[in-house]
Order: sequence, then structure tokens, then C-alpha cells
Amino acid sequence: MLLKIATFEFRYLLRNPLLWLTAALTLALFVVAMSVPGFELGSEGGLLQNAAYATLRNYLMVSMFFVFVTTSFVANAVIRDEQTGFAPIIGSLRITKFEYVFGRFIGAFAIAILCLLAVPVGITLGVSMPWADAAQLGPNRLTDHLYALFVLALPNIYIHSAILFALATITRSMMATYLGVIGLVSGFLVLQGSFLDRPQLRELASLLDAFGARALTEATLYWTVAERNATLPALNGALLNNRLLWLGIATASLAVAWAVVRRGERGVSKRRLKDPQATERVSAQVMPATSVAPLPAPLHNSSSSRGQLFMRVRFEVWQVVSSWAFPLLLAWGLFTTLFVLITQRDVDGRPTYPTTLSMIPEIEEAFFVIPLIVVIYYAGELVWRERDRRMHEIIDAAPMPNWMFVVSKSSAMAVVLLSLLLINVLASVLVQLSLGYTHLELGKYLLWYVLPNAWDMMILAALAVFVQSLSPHKAVGWGIMVIFVLWTQISSSIQHNLLKFGGVPWMPLSDMNGAGTFWQGAWTLRLYWGAAAVLLLVASHLMWRRGADVRLKPRVARMPQRFAGAATWVTTAALVTLTAAGAYGYYNTNLLNDYRSQDDAELWAVTLEKKYWKYHDLPQPVIAHLTMEVELHPEQRRATTRGTYVLENRTSQPISAIHVRLLDASLSLTYAEVIGARLVLDDPEFDYRIYQLDSTMAPGDERVMTFETVRTHLGFPNGAPDTRLVANGTFLDRLQLTPFIGMSYHGMLGQSDKRLEYGLPENLPRATLEDIAATAKPALGRGWAMSDITVSTSADQTPLAPGRRVSDSTFNGRRIARFVSEAPVHPVFSIQSGRYEVKQRVHNGVEFAVYYHAAHPWNVDGMLDALAVSLDYFQEHFGPYQFTHARIVEFPGYANFAQAFAGTIPYSETYGFIANLQDPETLDVVAGTTAHELAHQYWAHQVIGADMEGSAVLSETLAQYSAMMVIKQMRGEDQIRRHLRYELDKYLAWRASAPANEPTLARAEGQNWVLYQKGALAMYLVQKRLGEEAVNRALRNLLERYRFKGAPYPRSLDLVELLRDQATSEEHQTLITDLFERIVLYDMKVIEPVAVHRADGKWDVTVSVEARKLHVDSLASETEVPLNERIEIGLFTAEPGIAAFDASNVLLFERHAITGGRQVLKFVTDRRPTHAGIDPYNFYIDRNSTDNVRLVK
Amino acid sequence: MLELQDVSHVYPNGTRALQRVSLSIPRGMYGLLGPNGAGKSTLMRCIATLQTPTEGGIRFGNTDVIKQPDELRRTLGYLPQDFGVYPRISAYAMLDHLAVLKGVNSAADRKATVETLLHQTNLWNVRKKALAGFSGGMRQRFGIAQALIGNPALIIVDEPTAGLDPEERNRFLNMLAEIGENVVVILSTHIVDDVADLCPRMAVLAEGRVLLEGAPLELIGATRGRIWTKAIERRELETLRQQHEVLSTRLRSGRTVIHILADNPPGDGFTSVQAGLEDVYFASLAEARRAA
Repeated sequence: MLLKIATFEFRYLLRNPLLWLTAALTLALFVVAMSVPGFELGSEGGLLQNAAYATLRNYLMVSMFFVFVTTSFVANAVIRDEQTGFAPIIGSLRITKFEYVFGRFIGAFAIAILCLLAVPVGITLGVSMPWADAAQLGPNRLTDHLYALFVLALPNIYIHSAILFALATITRSMMATYLGVIGLVSGFLVLQGSFLDRPQLRELASLLDAFGARALTEATLYWTVAERNATLPALNGALLNNRLLWLGIATASLAVAWAVVRRGERGVSKRRLKDPQATERVSAQVMPATSVAPLPAPLHNSSSSRGQLFMRVRFEVWQVVSSWAFPLLLAWGLFTTLFVLITQRDVDGRPTYPTTLSMIPEIEEAFFVIPLIVVIYYAGELVWRERDRRMHEIIDAAPMPNWMFVVSKSSAMAVVLLSLLLINVLASVLVQLSLGYTHLELGKYLLWYVLPNAWDMMILAALAVFVQSLSPHKAVGWGIMVIFVLWTQISSSIQHNLLKFGGVPWMPLSDMNGAGTFWQGAWTLRLYWGAAAVLLLVASHLMWRRGADVRLKPRVARMPQRFAGAATWVTTAALVTLTAAGAYGYYNTNLLNDYRSQDDAELWAVTLEKKYWKYHDLPQPVIAHLTMEVELHPEQRRATTRGTYVLENRTSQPISAIHVRLLDASLSLTYAEVIGARLVLDDPEFDYRIYQLDSTMAPGDERVMTFETVRTHLGFPNGAPDTRLVANGTFLDRLQLTPFIGMSYHGMLGQSDKRLEYGLPENLPRATLEDIAATAKPALGRGWAMSDITVSTSADQTPLAPGRRVSDSTFNGRRIARFVSEAPVHPVFSIQSGRYEVKQRVHNGVEFAVYYHAAHPWNVDGMLDALAVSLDYFQEHFGPYQFTHARIVEFPGYANFAQAFAGTIPYSETYGFIANLQDPETLDVVAGTTAHELAHQYWAHQVIGADMEGSAVLSETLAQYSAMMVIKQMRGEDQIRRHLRYELDKYLAWRASAPANEPTLARAEGQNWVLYQKGALAMYLVQKRLGEEAVNRALRNLLERYRFKGAPYPRSLDLVELLRDQATSEEHQTLITDLFERIVLYDMKVIEPVAVHRADGKWDVTVSVEARKLHVDSLASETEVPLNERIEIGLFTAEPGIAAFDASNVLLFERHAITGGRQVLKFVTDRRPTHAGIDPYNFYIDRNSTDNVRLVK
Repeated sequence: MLELQDVSHVYPNGTRALQRVSLSIPRGMYGLLGPNGAGKSTLMRCIATLQTPTEGGIRFGNTDVIKQPDELRRTLGYLPQDFGVYPRISAYAMLDHLAVLKGVNSAADRKATVETLLHQTNLWNVRKKALAGFSGGMRQRFGIAQALIGNPALIIVDEPTAGLDPEERNRFLNMLAEIGENVVVILSTHIVDDVADLCPRMAVLAEGRVLLEGAPLELIGATRGRIWTKAIERRELETLRQQHEVLSTRLRSGRTVIHILADNPPGDGFTSVQAGLEDVYFASLAEARRAA
């Protein structure tokens, strides 16, 4: 019987179109995902399309996605009888409760499994498609599928169908069941990203996620690309526990469902019994036949139309708002938004102050999917409502004009979307208030969040309504829209906003500059697409299904007949708007600005390389003296630069021609003259010019070049707008203002895969460490020069540039300031202008100043303090600081970095200025960054590496080291664990996702995670072992040898040699080799440390440790090597790394010989330790940093 | 008033629902009788502007129904054979809503309309209840009420008495008859008595064709002397069916009374009987079957 019921259920559900739609969509999705390059589903950065990890993720995703479908199946199996009124018949049948409950469950579950099989079939079909890119595919391993099916997908489907089936059975309410769905999905969403920085809670998070997604994430944490491609995680630990836990919960739910289920009719609720009207109904007497009084006559004029429209809109809105789904959606929206905002973080996962403009992008991101679902779902519901409710014959026969259907339904949609967006604003404001942030800017939310998003969503809604009025069934319309939306999210084949449905140029926001002028482009395109949306709605109106006929053909045939009256002038107005906005948009994107598709842009870069890279080795003069006047007109977004270069031949060869390039499309060279030279090549496409010298420049000769450039931003481009020259917070550098001398890799294609596609060498041509000739050139086209820069700007702004400010005056509505270099500087500069507040402090003869946006005062003092500590440390240990000033200048959060120019540090508002450091557990990113940037005044601005691999070790790695020393100075060594762990986790995470093989530190080039993160760890360990003073001695030697010197410029190996000079043992030498010239990983852990109270009051502490050391070769394969190092063992009374941890918590911290494998160490302490650890402060690069320290039992 | 000229309709699946139907329907009640699937509802929908017939013309007074559907809708009251209701809305609110849609715009007019109709259809006591919770009969009465909003000049009611108890049915039919004195009321049904009691004119529709059209009394007159009856044992029925055109069988006091159609006296114990409309109806269906 059980089997029969199950079979019946299976067959019954087999006829459900939702099943076939889901299966077909899943199948199609995977065929496309596997065979179309660039379509990353489950796979990510550099993974094969069918990497083992990607396959697991795909199954996981589908099983999660299925929750919505399976709910409908399993809940349907239970609730159907009640809804259809079939329950009494079923109730009277001779089947047991067990058969009834489990038969139906099994049937519904089997259907879900059937649906799931679309995944393996889709993947297998996809990988064998003739157009599939074999380079992006690995072997299609059966084991991956089996693992994914039996560990993840099938248990997931069982788990959620069982839980939801139980919910449906117990509550007999579809709404409760959907609430359960939302609970499960939200649980996943919450757990996916939480507790990343709280290792103790990570295991808990892994357990709690019903889908096992978090557990999978944890099980594959820090896996490299190679591992993710081919390896399956072991089924143990949190992953296994998660599966067992939830399978248990699921089975228990089924048991409860079986225990609770009552067959037959549900009793009348108590509330219902008390309701007087319920009883009144019974006594309603048949009244005597009344005679028909004449009823009021109808009127058909414009006022009755208005009345109808108003009524209809109100009705449609009410139908939506009062439906059960709506409050759920609102709640979901509120919930996810609150969640995202409460945990609001900047890119590095650190908290920030909740400024309105930093919240808006967060809400947009968090709330990206729900409006799409709402639009697609409600378009179907609204368009088909009359038919679904079988009310269409009555409504359609009413004398209501056709247009009223479309207008009222669209208005209802608008109301729904607006309420969703407003609820988000509410959530955001709540979060702001709860964080004590009372500077509420509701107008900004409205202008820059609610309006644009509502508008964009309405454009999509118009399309959805149009599609629904075309399609023969609601589900078909839904399916088409889902596919369309997915396609637009994934495909980049259409890039022009005038062609990409609903496409608008990006409107970057910042507190400093608001929406700038960027709203213009966005709203021009919004107007354009709005008009298109109106046309779609008119079309929907013209073929509205009115009456019994749903066929498309007769409706299309009737369109001309219906095209009359208001429809004609609405169409005309929309067409006029569409044409005007489209033409204006085209004028801006393609005529005022240069439009290049991505392919064109790539081709341009490739051609540049093919045409001009041949000149890169040509000896060229460098700028020895730079004089320039920069005239900024921030409101007009225009800058004029007049400059003079004194060019010097610092090579050993004669120079016969000077090559001059412009590197920015918005920049034009209006005048240029090299004295004693003539222009022999002028390539406007690549802005490449060659000046032939009348007489060759001998080594040491100088020439003068004068130029004038104009930078303008007219209208708006199709793609990302320029964010450097803006009304408030301009930040321009040499790329954006001045001509370059000589060919460099600027502007060339960098991505390896793209380069290969175009037949270029895989990597940008770079000199290797062994290429001694390359030491003749400094990195990044730098060199030593003197500068004299005058900047003028609007009177209400402060102009800033590197150098000592020798004058600053306001004249004729212009504020003009002149900056002159006090020491040799690179011929690079940052020109900034804005309406700043300024806070100054003089420290040991150096004038510190922070120029900041008035609304961002929080960390200004912290920056000044960090400057002071840093300056003192650097002057004491490295040598004199070369300037009399150090400035930090805020710029809008369009970009997220800080950068060091001579004595001047442009610092993004989102990178530090709005960082929230109130929580003591928060890492002080501001002090670290400030110290890092000030350190660049030595490491980059006193010593610059040669133009070859590893050059940035001499700037970034040393700046990181310097910042670490400042932090150690400020917080004490016992606080260093949190900083080291931060760097370690970032290094491991980047390492895991980096596509190319990892270089050694000495050869790193562009791999910032090696230069910054590994660099910081490496230098810290070196100073730990060799001694801080020894390392600083080496650095002083480096400075003495290379400070402000020309060729030969230093290599990373020169630093390594200087460090080796300070080494006093073979152990030190090996360490330096391991850190700089090898990739070495450690795996150290503590196993169950135990403390036993002794009779004399002391404690016997036994700590078992396990350690291994691995070498990683250039192909990322690992080999274990013998370990014999003296490594710290620590016993503590608190966990190292927390804010409250300090020296008083350290009972013991000493080095022990660690020889690999398991070792048992015994100690005696006076107090009871709570934590024990091996390498507890994370000096070493340990693949799993969480198990280094454990609680003592 | 209402003229149908060669109206034919073919559904996309090939079903010929209406075949050259021509009718001229005057003011007053007009009965449209036919078995299930005869095309009644399709015809009603065509008249109610919900279905454009594939061929033919429909005029109501000066209105070309096919070309000017909006014109007709302004004077139309329509009760579909099968309809649902919106969830979460009361009878009062829904009637009020429909009144607006039908052009009863002023609040006072609407109140008068809605309240009168609620009383007339005996829904006053349940006016605040959600429609979705209505029983079949109550829902049907609601359907009737909405069809009467705004004094329509053309009322189309498709199977209106389905689900009504006898008392309600009487009340409704009386109401219709009263209204039908001034306007065109088309009553589609398969219950012969509804038509017999009320309709001055009627038509019988089967398989998309008009089989009979005229005043019920005249039609009854036309079959006079051709209907014969006899009380038989149940087991005799099969034999008789082969010999005669059996129109109807009915149990009375344990015996089966049959009516047959025959132009000449069949003898064999059959006696002539005064024909009812039901006999006319069955006779016309029987003739149509024979012709097919």
C-alpha cells in the first residue's frame, strides 16, 4: 500500500509543469555553464568549469535552489487534499496513517530526486558539447558526482523536504511552510559569512547550516586552485557531523509529522465559534421576493474612468499587499538587509561608520535578488490574476477601458517595489541609529537609492508584464523572465547601455562628492529605458487578453484596431522621449566620449603592444626637473596643465630621439615642444609621438621640453565614468595630467588568459632577477628629480600637491598654491583639491596635517598619532625623514586605497576615514595603513628598486615591516598575534584563489598578497630570529648604499644579502632562504593540552604538539621536508589575539626544538593556564592557524 | 433587439462550437436550451464580448457587438456559468468594486445599488463575509447581483439557477421575469422548466446548431399528437428502445413511464399524451440525432 501511494504521488507530481520547468532549466543551465567559457557557475577565479570543488558547489546550489520547488511538492502532497476539498474522501479510505504520511513523502521525495538528476546529465552533456573549451575542463569524474550526490545534494533534499513536509503536515498551512523555507534559506545566508573572524564559532556555524554549505567552505578552507580542481574533502569533522545532525533532525521531523497528523476535517477554531457572524449565517432567513426597484444608472465619462482607475489601482495594490507572500517578502527584505548592514564591513572585512552613502551600495548588494523575484513573480500574478481566480469573465465584460488593466497592474507593481525599497531604507536607518549614528540623510536615500532602483525595477516590470501578456501560461512567462534575468546577469555580450535592456551607466557615490555629475548619464538612460518600458506597456495593453480567448494570434491581429485614442499619443510621447533620450545618450557616450567595446579595448591594447613595445629598451632621458602649473576647474571637470621638463640622459648611451606618450584618453596634448627636436611620428590613435633630436644627447646631457595638456570630461561615457577630477575631492596623478617619456607597459593587456587569446606571451614582458642589465632603470619609470608645482583651483577649495608649500593665496576667485620639493623626489605627484577641514600638529620639527571631509572626523587624531609614532621609529632606526611636512589628504571613496607621494598621502574616505575602531577587538587598520604609507617615504621615496621582478619587495614589503614595528611599538608584542593572523589569513585566502603559481617573495611581481602579506610575515619572523636591531641595521645599510642614487638600482636580492650579512648562524641563513627564496608552509597544532594541579600548588602542564614543514614547488605541489626548528611554545591565561590580552596573561613563552611528528612537552607553572599553543602568535606561515592555540583541559 | 447573423465559432483545437447560428432575440426573457456541450456558453460569451466568433455578426440595437465591444459592455449584465472570486474580499466590497467598474460612480448611487442588490439577492446578512467562504448558492446569488448592476439593457445569464435551492430559484426567476419586461434577458439553461415557466421565446441549441426557435407554446403545439406514453416494466425498456424513438423514461410508483415520439399511433398500449416543453426539447434532440 505504501508503495502504491508513493507511486501514485510520484505519477501525480510527474504531471506538474513546475517539475518539468525546473528540470529543464537545471539541465539547460548546466549544459551552458559547462560548455560556454566565462560562464562561472560554482567554479571561481581560475578553477576548471567542472573542478571537483565546483561540482560540489553546483550540487549544493541546486539542492538549495530546489527548496522552493520541493516545498511545493511535499507541501502540496499534504495540503492538496484540504485545498481541493478531497480530504474527507481520503479520510474515509482504509489506509493507515503511516502509509498516508510516508507514501506521499516518498513519492514527493522521489520526484525531487528525479529533478536533481538533471545536474549530472546537464554537466555530462555540457562537457561533451562540441563547442566546449577543453582547456577549461577537467575529467568528468564519477566520484565527484557520487560524493556531491550522496554527501550533499541528496541529504539536503531529504533534510529540507522532511522538515518542510513535517511543517506542512503539522500546521496544514502553506504559509507556515514557506516561513520554514525562509528560515532555512536565511539560516544558510546568515551562516555563510558569519564568524569568519571567530574561529571558535566557525565549527558551530558549520554545524548549524542545514545545507552544509558552511561546513563545505570550512572543509576546503585555503585550498589552492590545484586542490580545488581535483580533490574532494574528507568526510569527517564538522562536515560529517553536520550531515549526521541534520539527517537526524530530518528523520525526527518525519516521526513528529507522523505522530501529529490527523486525518479528516479540521475542527472549527475557537475564535470562529465565538464570532457572532458565523452563527448569524446559519439563521439568515430567506426574505420574501422583493420587487425590482430601478437601480441608479451608470455614467460613462472621464470622471467615471478616473473613479475606475483609482478603484482598480487600490484594489490591485490591496490584493498584493494583503497576500501572504507580501509581508513575508517585506520581512525577508528587512531581515537580510538588517543582517548585511549590521555586519557591514569594508572590503577587508572591517567595520565602518554607517554613513548613508556607504550604506546604499551595501543595501543594493544585499537586496539585489529580492526585487528581481518580486518583479518576476508579481508580474505573473498580476497579469493572470483574473484568470487564476476565474473572475475574468465578469471583469472583462465590465465596461472598463482596456488600458486600465495595464495601468492599474503596473501601478500596483510600483507600489510593491516602492514599499520594499522603503523598508530597506527603514532597515538601514535602524542600523544607523542602533550604531549611534544620528546623521540621517533621508533625502539621499530617496534620491540615490529608492528612486533609481524603483525606476530600474519598473523597467524590468514592464518587460515582465509584456512577456506575461505574450506567453500562453503564467509559468511560461516566469520561465522566460528567469532565463532573461540570468542571461543579463551572466552575459557580457551586450555592453552598450542603449542596447542592454535597462542598462544605465554606473553612478558612483561618495560622501565627499555625493553623486557628483554621474547622475546625469544614469538618468538620461533611465529616461530612455523608461520610454521603452512605456512602449512595452502600450503593447501589452494592445494585446491584452480580454475575454475567453488566450491565443496570441487573434490578439495580435486586433492590435491595430485597439490602437486608438490615448494609446496613440502615449505611444507618440514615448517614441519622442525614446528618440530624444537615446540620441542624447548616443551623443554623450559615442560622440562626446570615446565608446569602445571590451573587445575593441583589448584589441587596442594588443595593437599598442605589437606596434610600440619594440621601443621599450631604447635609451630614454628621465625627468630631472619638473615645473608645472595645474589649473583645476573642479565644477567644470576641466584641468589645464602647463609644464616644463628638464630631461637628462642618465644612461651610458647617446639618445637620438625622445618618445612621448599620453596614457589617458581624456587627456589631450594641446602643445608640446622639445627644444632642438622635431616631431617625426605622431600617432593620435595611441597618443604616441617621437621627437627626433637635431643633435644626439650624450650621457649627462639635458634637454628642455615644454607642454600643455587639457583634461576635460564632457557629458557621460557608456562605461565607468572618470572619478578623479570631480567637483569635490579631485585626486589626479601624472597618468591623468602629463606626458610620459619612453615606452612602458602602461596601457598593455595584463590578464594572462586574454594575452594568450591574442597570441601574446602569457605574461607582460618583465626582466628577471638575473637580468643585471635591468638594474639600470628604476621601477615604475621613476627616478630622482626636483619639482616645482603650482596648483590653482576654485576659491572655496584647498589645492594640494607634494612639496613644501611656499605660497598660498586667493586671487580673482582662484586659490593658488605653490609646492617646491625639499629633497630629491620621483617625478610623480598627486594633485588634490577639495573642501577640506584640516587638523595640524607639529612633531619633532615636522608639520603633520590631515585634510579631511568635515563629516569624517573620527580617525583624524588616530592618524596624527600614528604619524608621530612612525616618524619617531623611522628616524631613530632608519635615518632622517627628508621633508618638513607629512600630509594625509582624503579623497572620495570611488577607490579604496591609500598611496604615498612625496610627503603627501592621498587616503580614501572608505579606507580609514570611515573605519570604525570603537570596538577594541577591531584591528587598528588606520594606524597600520598610516605607518605603512609614511614608511614609503623611505621605502620608495629614498630607495627605489630596479625595474625587474621583486622590485616591490623594496617598497611594499619593507613598508609592511616598518608598519609592523610601529604596531609592535604601539601595542606591545603580545598584541601582535591578531595582526599577524590577519596577514596570514589574507595570504592563505589569496593564495588559495590565485590562478597563477605562487612566486617566491624575492621574485614577487604584482602578487600583492605575497609582497604585502607574506612579506609582513617573513620580515616579522626574520626580525624575531635575527633581532629587530640587526634587521634595522640591514635596512640602514640599504638606505646608505642606495638613498637618492641612480643606476644601478637595487634588487630584492640586495636586501636579502644585507639581511644575510646580519645572520649569525646557519639557522638564520636557512630561515632567510626559506622565507625569501622558497615557498614553505608549516602545519603546527596543539592536541588536547592538560593541566594537573600539584600538591605544592603549582600546575603540571602537558602539551602534545604535532608539526610538519612543507616545501611547495613552482607547480604548487607540496613535499614534506624534515623539520628541526626551535619554535615558540606558549602557556597563557587568556586567548592570544583578543583585545584584552597582554603580557600579564603570558605564563610561559619559550622556544623548544620541534622535530616534526607528535611531541609531548611538559611544563610546570605557578598559575593554571587556560590556553596553550605552539607558535601561538603565528610567526610562521601555518596552513591552519586556528589549531595553534587550544583551551587547556 | 439582439440579432445574430450566421455566427460560427471554431476553437483552435478544431471543435466547431457554433455553426451558422442566426437568431433574432426581442425584448423580454429568451430561453436558450441545450444539453451540455451544445455551444450555449460559447454563444453567450460571443454575445458578452468575451469571445470573437470566427464568423458572423452580432448586433444589439445600433451596436455592432464585435466591432464596438465597449459600447455593448456599458449596457451588459453578465453572469458566467462558472466563475471564481478574489480572495480576501467581502461581498459588499466586491459589489461596490464592480459597481465602479460598471460606471456607477457616485458614492450615493453605489451605496443604493449595492444595498438594494444585496437585499434582493438575500445576501445582506453575509455582506461582510469573504466571498471566498461563500457556499455555491450564495456565490451564485452574488453572481446574479453583480449582473444587475447599472440597469443593463442586455442581461445574459448562463445556468443561473445551478446550485440554488427551489425557493431561491423561484425568487430569482421572478426577479428576472420582472426585469425582463423592459430589457433583453438571455437565459441559458439545460433545465426545461426554467424556460417553460418564464420565457415568451426560446431556442434549442445542440452541437452548435439551432434546432428549434419559437414561442414555447407554439413549439408544444407543433408536437401535438406525436407524443405517446406507456407504463412498462423496466426489463421491457431495451426492446422498446429498439422499436421506438424513446424521448424520456421516468419512474412512477415502481413502474417506468416512457414517452416516445411517433407520427402515427404506435398501438401496443401506448396512449397519446399532452406534450410538455420537455418532450419538445427531447424530440428536437432526437430528430437532430437522427439527421446526423
